[in-house]
Order: sequence, then structure tokens, then C-alpha cells
Amino acid sequence: MIRRLRPRSLAGRTALFLTLALMLVQTAGLLIHALDRLDLQRIILSREISSRAFIFWRTAVLANPDRRQTMLYEIDLMRGLRADLSDTPAVRPGMPRPPPPLVEMFQVKRWRALPPNLRPRALLVAGGEGPRDLIVASQLPDGQWVNLWLTVPVMRPWHSGAFLVAFLMMTGAALALIVWATRRLTRPVSALARAAEQLGRDVNSPPLPEDGPREVATAARAFNTMAERIRRFVGDRTQMLAAIGHDLRTPITRLRLRAEFLEDDEQRRKMLADLDEMETMVNATLAFARDDAATEPSVPLDLAALCRTVLDEAMDARPGLTAEAVTYTGPERLRISARPVALKRALANLVGNALNYGGRVRLRLDGQGPKVEGGLVRLLIEDEGPGIPDDCLEVVFQPFRRLETSRNRETGGTGLGLPIARNILRAHGGDVMLMNRQGGGLSALVTLPA
Amino acid sequence: MVIGRHCHIHFMVESMEPPPHILVVDDDREIRDLLSKFLERQSCRVSAARDAREARRLWPLGRYHLVVLDLMLPGESGLEFARWLRTQSDVPIVMLTAMSEETDRIVGLELGADDYVAKPFNPRELLARIRAVLRRANGEGNASQEPPAKAIRFAGWTLEPARRRLLNQDGVEVPLTGGEYELLMVLVERPNRVLTRDMLMDLLRGRQAGPFDRAIDVAVSRLRRKLEDDGRNPSLIKTVRGGGYVLAATVEKAAELPASLAHAGGATP
Repeated sequence: MIRRLRPRSLAGRTALFLTLALMLVQTAGLLIHALDRLDLQRIILSREISSRAFIFWRTAVLANPDRRQTMLYEIDLMRGLRADLSDTPAVRPGMPRPPPPLVEMFQVKRWRALPPNLRPRALLVAGGEGPRDLIVASQLPDGQWVNLWLTVPVMRPWHSGAFLVAFLMMTGAALALIVWATRRLTRPVSALARAAEQLGRDVNSPPLPEDGPREVATAARAFNTMAERIRRFVGDRTQMLAAIGHDLRTPITRLRLRAEFLEDDEQRRKMLADLDEMETMVNATLAFARDDAATEPSVPLDLAALCRTVLDEAMDARPGLTAEAVTYTGPERLRISARPVALKRALANLVGNALNYGGRVRLRLDGQGPKVEGGLVRLLIEDEGPGIPDDCLEVVFQPFRRLETSRNRETGGTGLGLPIARNILRAHGGDVMLMNRQGGGLSALVTLPA
Repeated sequence: MVIGRHCHIHFMVESMEPPPHILVVDDDREIRDLLSKFLERQSCRVSAARDAREARRLWPLGRYHLVVLDLMLPGESGLEFARWLRTQSDVPIVMLTAMSEETDRIVGLELGADDYVAKPFNPRELLARIRAVLRRANGEGNASQEPPAKAIRFAGWTLEPARRRLLNQDGVEVPLTGGEYELLMVLVERPNRVLTRDMLMDLLRGRQAGPFDRAIDVAVSRLRRKLEDDGRNPSLIKTVRGGGYVLAATVEKAAELPASLAHAGGATP
């Protein structure tokens, strides 16, 4: 339960921690303040009680003994003070000794320091029933006793509503400030994560701004340096492969021309076929290495028309195929944003595979609405071939990795078709997966952002 | 790729015109020599230059019908030479490009080159392109005199010849197969003219190097589908009784791309 309530984000966790800590500190602070105030209040009230008690005594001393009773009745007593006039003292032997703090608080020593005309004939002080009670018995000149029961008032600190309101308001204000501040502080971390994500898709994405707090600027600088190194590495590799590719083109062109001068038709045909195969391999290697998708701009594109084009061209390239071997189901139009040349290559590779290994291909474009489930367009390319073992479904996406059974001249291939297709689709923010169908045959599931 | 299915390589033998004179500019000596020999066997006259400087020197010495130009030349680039050549003459140019030089190819086509073949090229494909370009230059003598159109607009659609692509009225690219593109080009170059199947076959054979075996009808029905033209009651590519098709639309050629489509710009290196 607690685990589930714990926020996932750095900002959330920091905010939660800070808020809890602040609440603790605030509670302690308010408590100290309240206790302090209570102490003061208690002293003031005790003084008031002792003053009234003293007034009571003075009235009793100064009043005419006949009228003493009536006059004393008129005196306003208060909570925490009880008094009476008696022939016997309320303090009797055996009562507890008066607690010194109460003696101090109720200023009992004042009674002893009174001028002679007010000074009691005898003064008895004892503790009362509770720890807050003090009993003072003082004898009047005529022998009567004034008995006073003094009680330290009980304070109720949480009684005041202002306390709760203040607590809530301060907590609320602090919470708002903390959330704002942590959001601000963790924003660079989110920006860094976004930049890393973007770099994965596009090597040439713009650099991070190198400003903000020192630590953030340092991280941004380090990230930019790393991105620059990756860019240079990719650039070097691309240049090298382009050079190799270019250099291979010249001999292939020469051989093609030479083949035209061969008298033996059969040998010429075979030589040209070999050269075609070589060219395909060079082009595939170059396409894989150069990662064309990175340089081609994204444009609005009709995916349905692209699917048809890929299927039609696959059919045109295989004159032996009947029209029923290649089918398309899906919408007439489906607008997406993509890199046309790269995406066409990816789909052509998948369709080509299906036709080479399965003999026929069914392409299904899932586009009920313009945005299909979670903003993804689904595209299924199904064949009726033998499929591939389940534990090889991912392996075939590794470059130059071909299944032993398919490594023969008839089906051809460079071992780069699927890796290129996946690279291109991932560069689009999509992906491709292979799966064996229950009724037999292999399905390639392509997802693309709508 | 199917090789050896179109072995009927006759070069304008039927006409009694003198053999075409072709200038080949390529920096590789072997390719230059082999290509010259290959083209000479197809009854062409060939002169060869190893770079732009030599080509400039050769240019006034002959009356060339066509230039085969490698874009990657040492020293002055093929593109610069093509630009210079265009100031001199409207001679048809067929470019030899590498696949990676897509931007150069687009610039070349926009400069007014007539066609291109990707290296490593198939000699027969190059020959077919040369033949088609020569026939276009001969048949429609004034065709190459107007500046090349950057955009061809018809019925809300935009065709960009340099990038070989079709955009709908919202600027969304609608991919075409090579055959569909060639067919559409033939149609938009001759709007409101009835073209019989034979004429279409003839016009297309020169352009399309690969096999264009699928019947014209199949290509037309595919194209109609892409152009959202109702197959049963077509209004854009109409069927003519007696076997033929006509593009019923006003075709407008623009030397500049409309601003609204400029965002879909070309590849950036």
C-alpha cells in the first residue's frame, strides 16, 4: 500500500520528503511556541488568583467583624480560587507539604512580608488533593481563619481554532512552494532524458542548452560531447562504407559492360545475374551502414498507397506470380508522416521476404480510424510459408544472421533485409516483430506512429 | 531484374538518319572505352572525354545528339559542366549517378538533364534511356527547349518530375510504382489527347527499362485507384471506345514549386 502510494518521479519524491520534513519541523515549532505561551498564561493567571486571594484577605482584615461576612460575599472570586471564613484552619496536621513551585507561583511570601496591621496572626500552608492545589489558612486578629483554596488553572492549548488554521495554511503554502521548486529543479533531468531519447532516434538532433545551475550545465555539456562523439563515429563509418560502396561500383559497371561482349549467351546471362546479386549486396550493406532514414526528411505520406505500390512492384518483379498471390486489405487512404524512400525499402524487404519464403503475401493495414489504438498504425504482412522456429524470431533481426535452412542460392538474400527494415521502422518511432501463425505461415507485425 | 528478355536492340535502324553522335564523359578509362565500344556496336558514333575540361574542348568539334555525363568527375563537377552545357545548347543529357547522390540527381534534373541512370548501371538500361531521350528530342523537337517544369499540376494533383513523386491537394505524397509514374508522365504531357494502347506501349517502352509486361489496362486501373478516379465511371483517365485512354484535365506547368508544398523539401545531406 505504502509502496504503491510512493510517487515515481524524482520531483514527486523530493516534494514528498520535503513536505513531510517541513511538517515535522513545523509541528515541533508550533508546539514549543504553544507551550511557551501556556506557561506565560499560567503565570499571569496564577498572579491574578493570588492577587484576588490577597484582596480577599485584606478585605477580611480591614472590615468590621460584624459586616465581614457580607463584605466578603460581595468579592468576585474566579475560577481556581475558593475561599471561606471559619473558626478552624483548613490546614490540618498530616496534610502534604506545599509544593515549592506552587508556593512560588502564588507568591505566598508576600503574606509574610505584609505591614504589621495586615500581617496574619498565623499562616498555615499545605498542598491540596491534587498536585495543582494549594491551601492557605491565615488567622485574623480576632482568631477567625480565612481559608483559601488556590488551584493552578488547566490550560487547553488545542482549544484555539487559530492553531489548526495556521498549521494548515502554512503547510499548504509550503507544499505549493516545494512542488514548484522541485519541478523547476528536476526539469533539467527530464530535458536530459528527452534529449537522450531523441539522440537514439536521430543522431543529428539539436544539442542541449548548456545553461542553468552548474551541475546541470556540466551534465548537459557532457551529454553534448558524447552526442558529438557518436555523431563523428557514425559519420566516419558512413564515409568509409560509402567509399567502399563507390569503389565497388566501378568494377561492377566495368564487368557489366564486359559481359555485353561475351559471345556465349548462357555465360553472359549467368555473369549478369551474378553481377546483379553483387550489386544487391553492396546496396543492402550500404543502406544498412548509411542509415538513410536519418538523412531523409519526414513528409506527409499516404501509407495505403505506399502499401499498394510496394505490392505492385514486388509483383512486377516476379512475372511468374498470379494476381491472387498478392492481396491488400485495408483503407483506401491513410495519412501518416514518414520518410517515403526509407519506409518503402522497409516494407519492400518484408514483402520480399514473404514472397521468397512463403510464395504469397497478404498485407493487412489496420486503419479503422485515423488514429488506431494509442496513436499506432498496425500493418500485418502474412505469408503461407513454413515459418521459422520460435526461438529464432528475434535472431533473424541481427545483421548477417540467416537461418541455416534458408542459406541457399535460391532464396538469396543478404541477411540484411530484416535488420534494415527494423532500423528504418524504429527510426520512425515504430517497430517490426515476427510471429508464427497458428494455422501455419509467418506474420510480420509492423507498428508505426499515426 | 530480368536480363536478356529484350534483346531487340536496334538503334534507329529503321530511319535513314545518320547515326547519333554521343559524347561520353566519365573519369574511369575502362568504363569510357567499354561504353564507347558498346554504343558503337549499337551503331552510334561516340566521342569520349575523361573530365569536364576535355569535354569542353571536344564540345565545339562535333555536333552531338546526346551527352552521357558522370556526375562524379575529378576537378569541375558533372553538375557544373551540365550547367555550362545548358548555356551552350539544349543537347539532351543522361546523367550517371550513384545512389547516394540523390540531391545531385535532383539538382541535375532541375537543371535540365533529361534522365539519369544509377551506377552501377546496366548497359542495356542505359541504352534504352538514351534511345527514349533521343526519340523524345527528335519527335517533339521543341520539348526540351522550354525550361524543365518543377511542378506539373492537374485536377488538384501535383507531379514533381525531379523527385519523381505525386502529391495530392493536401501536400500528402502518394507513392507510385515506376510504371505508374511513367504512365502518368506520358499522360500529363499529352492532356486531352486520345492515346491508343499501342501508342502508350510505344511511348512507355523507351522510358521503362525493366519489363513493362503488365498490360496497359492493369497499369491504368492501378493509377486510377491512386488518383481516386472511380474505375467504373472514370472522370480523370477516361477510357475511349475502341481501345485507348485520355487524360481529361487541364495541365499546368510551373517553373517553381508552390509555396504550400515547399515544406516537403528534398533530402538534406
